[in-house]
Amino acid sequence: MSRQAARGTDIRKVNGELFTLTYGALVSQLMKDYENDEEVNKQLEKMGYNIGVRLIEDFLARANIGRCNDFRETADIISKVAFKMYLGITPVISNWSPSGDEFSLLIENNPLIDFVELPDGHNALNYSNLLTGVLKGALEMVQMDVDVRFVQDQLKGDNLTELRLKFVKRLEDAIPAGED
Amino acid sequence: MASTAHPMAVCVAVIAKENYPLFIITIPTENELKFYYTVHTSLDVVEEKISSIGKNTTEARELYLGLLYPTEDYKVYGYVTNTKVKFVLVLESTNTTLRDNDIRTMFKKLHNAYVDMLCNPFYTPGENITSRNFENIVTAMMQQD
Repeated sequence: MSRQAARGTDIRKVNGELFTLTYGALVSQLMKDYENDEEVNKQLEKMGYNIGVRLIEDFLARANIGRCNDFRETADIISKVAFKMYLGITPVISNWSPSGDEFSLLIENNPLIDFVELPDGHNALNYSNLLTGVLKGALEMVQMDVDVRFVQDQLKGDNLTELRLKFVKRLEDAIPAGED
Repeated sequence: MASTAHPMAVCVAVIAKENYPLFIITIPTENELKFYYTVHTSLDVVEEKISSIGKNTTEARELYLGLLYPTEDYKVYGYVTNTKVKFVLVLESTNTTLRDNDIRTMFKKLHNAYVDMLCNPFYTPGENITSRNFENIVTAMMQQD
């Protein structure tokens, strides 16, 4: 019991550069192994998904917030609480679609891409694709099917990195066969 | 301040610890070979300085090596990192406005730019330097007045 109570305050600090270099080593090793940008993008998203489904538990335990009432609240929480907690940045929410089911996260100082320069000929690589998987996996665990993709990328010459999140549908918990 | 046409440095070179060039850039684009030769011969002086200083003193060797040798047209300065990567700066002899401290600052900037470039996960140490960021920082240093 005492170990669970300590969880909220036990935030071990890791040097930011170490984190950036670790992620960089991960991506460059994936590039060497798969040699295909699209394949690497897929792998990064898969890994992100696996992180996301676990991270959401940690997040809910730490953040102590209730269920969000609508997608706008979800957007706020993602930007102001989740990103702040894990990456130390607060992306700007913008470009809401008229139906309110799609929005953009604008990131200016993505810690994953410090010091990184994409090599020539690899413009299809979405270097920070891990983030799309994390968001998708985490939101799936709270019954939201969300489509996440990159619209702009600072590594490809844009001014900022833009992630687009689109709400697809609410997920119902499947009732196991045999129960009423 | 009246701007003269004098660039700060005419040639900047980064040499790997195995003494092959990682990056060389010169301002006058004709007669580049002369600068490559100057940098190459300066390596002997660099080697001499690192080996002699290490044996005499027990304290840590300084990274900045100072003026390596003057020719009649140019002055060559050197700087070695603890990983034996060498930076060589060739200045025109007519450029007297630069003091020792200014040169130290230039080397520090070079060193910082090199380290940032090294942190790029797509760069393998020992490879030729192709980073656009690094090249921009170096050319800015060379043209500034």
